[in-house]
Amino acid sequence: MSYERCDDMRWKKFLLILVLVAITVWSMAGIDFSIKEIVSGMGEVIRFITVDMIPPDISSLFDLMQPLLDTIYMSLVAVVVAAVISFVLAYLASSITTPHPILQIAARGVASILRTIPDMVWVLLLVPAYGLGTLAGTMALLIAGVGLLTRSFAEALDEVDKGQLEAVKATGASWLQTMSRAVLPQFLPQFVSWSLFGLDTNVRSSTMIGMVGAGGLGFAIQSGIKLFQFEEVTMAILMTVVLFIGIEMITTKLRRRII
Amino acid sequence: MSEIVKADGIAQPILTVSALKKTYKDGTVALRGVDFTVKAGEIVGIIGSSGAGKSTLMRCINRLIEPSDGYVYFDGIDVTKSNKHQLRYVRRQMGMIFQSFNLIARSTVLGNVLNGRLGYMDSVRGALGIFSKQDIEDAMSILERVGLVNQAHKRADELSGGQQQRVGIARALAQKPKLILADEPIASLDPVTSENIMDYIYRICKEDGITCLINLHQVEFAKRYADRIIGIRAGRRVFEGRAQDLAQDVVQEIYA
Repeated sequence: MSYERCDDMRWKKFLLILVLVAITVWSMAGIDFSIKEIVSGMGEVIRFITVDMIPPDISSLFDLMQPLLDTIYMSLVAVVVAAVISFVLAYLASSITTPHPILQIAARGVASILRTIPDMVWVLLLVPAYGLGTLAGTMALLIAGVGLLTRSFAEALDEVDKGQLEAVKATGASWLQTMSRAVLPQFLPQFVSWSLFGLDTNVRSSTMIGMVGAGGLGFAIQSGIKLFQFEEVTMAILMTVVLFIGIEMITTKLRRRII
Repeated sequence: MSEIVKADGIAQPILTVSALKKTYKDGTVALRGVDFTVKAGEIVGIIGSSGAGKSTLMRCINRLIEPSDGYVYFDGIDVTKSNKHQLRYVRRQMGMIFQSFNLIARSTVLGNVLNGRLGYMDSVRGALGIFSKQDIEDAMSILERVGLVNQAHKRADELSGGQQQRVGIARALAQKPKLILADEPIASLDPVTSENIMDYIYRICKEDGITCLINLHQVEFAKRYADRIIGIRAGRRVFEGRAQDLAQDVVQEIYA
């Protein structure tokens, strides 16, 4: 590399850093991001956590049991139904298994639209139809789940060993037989693994979407804050954390077993 | 055999390949017009260097690859013009053996052999894997024939290369085929196992009267096992004859 080129690159790097710094400073000014403000607010945060939120209200454990179960039900129902729908869509969406290119484009299109809209937005769109509560939440998780799983399943199908496919085709097997006897055995472990990941994601999301009115623990946290019952909120947060860790431990163990 | 041997007693060609051409989408010309016939019960070895078009040729015969031009007649049927339904009927009579075995890795050995029956079954029953008692018994006796009856319930990917290829042979046999297409069946195996596999293929074809087309890149194996040899170079047939007629200079021309 010549000296001039090296010099040229150095200039480009310098310019890039300068632009980055400028954008960041501009953005900070735009949102009044100042160290002074942060420090002055810190005291209130600490006071809020140590005085208002502690100790957690253990007695609310019983009342929070139903929201906890709601969160689990929502996540589970959503992922099971989403997995079934995505299974069919993914077969259409994968270049290897699709019966027709137009179906492939359509399935991919549907999946990307569903995936790009956040589940939070789906709740807001669904609440007018289904009212506040777990049904709207389940529907939102289901729709977002179809987006996620269709894409993941389709990618797994794209990686299927074509030799195995070819061999079954060569026996005179029909399309359906080839899909089931050659593709399915290769796809099944991925299917289960991704569905478990979907369950994991749902449990996390269901807490978030709960806060915009979809029921479950998220809703309990949100309404607790509105009613100034902060110690109950702490309890709900603790239960959420335990739920996250518990579900993740279970799904990780199951996935490891399969692969 | 009665359908193949006509009244005059002369074995009719079971397979006729005529002016077969294949150009891939990217412009690669794999076959430039190949003609040959294969008589019932014959073992024909196809030799040629890699890239000569042997694999394409074989896949055009059962239309895993669509030929661009030309004809393939199998047992009186124009394969190139067959519709979906006829193609199933044709394919189930052609067992195929692959270089990389192509077994369903996560299925059992028996499950892989039973896949050979799919072409004869109702689509849904086959997809659900509901095989008849007769099919399972047949599959087990085929496994006995290739010496793998004790491995029937093992997962296919637990077997050694040679064993996997014997499952490949068993799957082809389960089709009760008139023709076996063997695409480089020994290219991924060591010399001793290669010989063993070639022995199996040879013996089974001769015992059952199955016609066989084998792609091989080792001339020695072709000379030993094939009744007739076809040499392919750059998508053209450059030799056809008996093993003893394959002189050294001809071999050099094929592989040049």
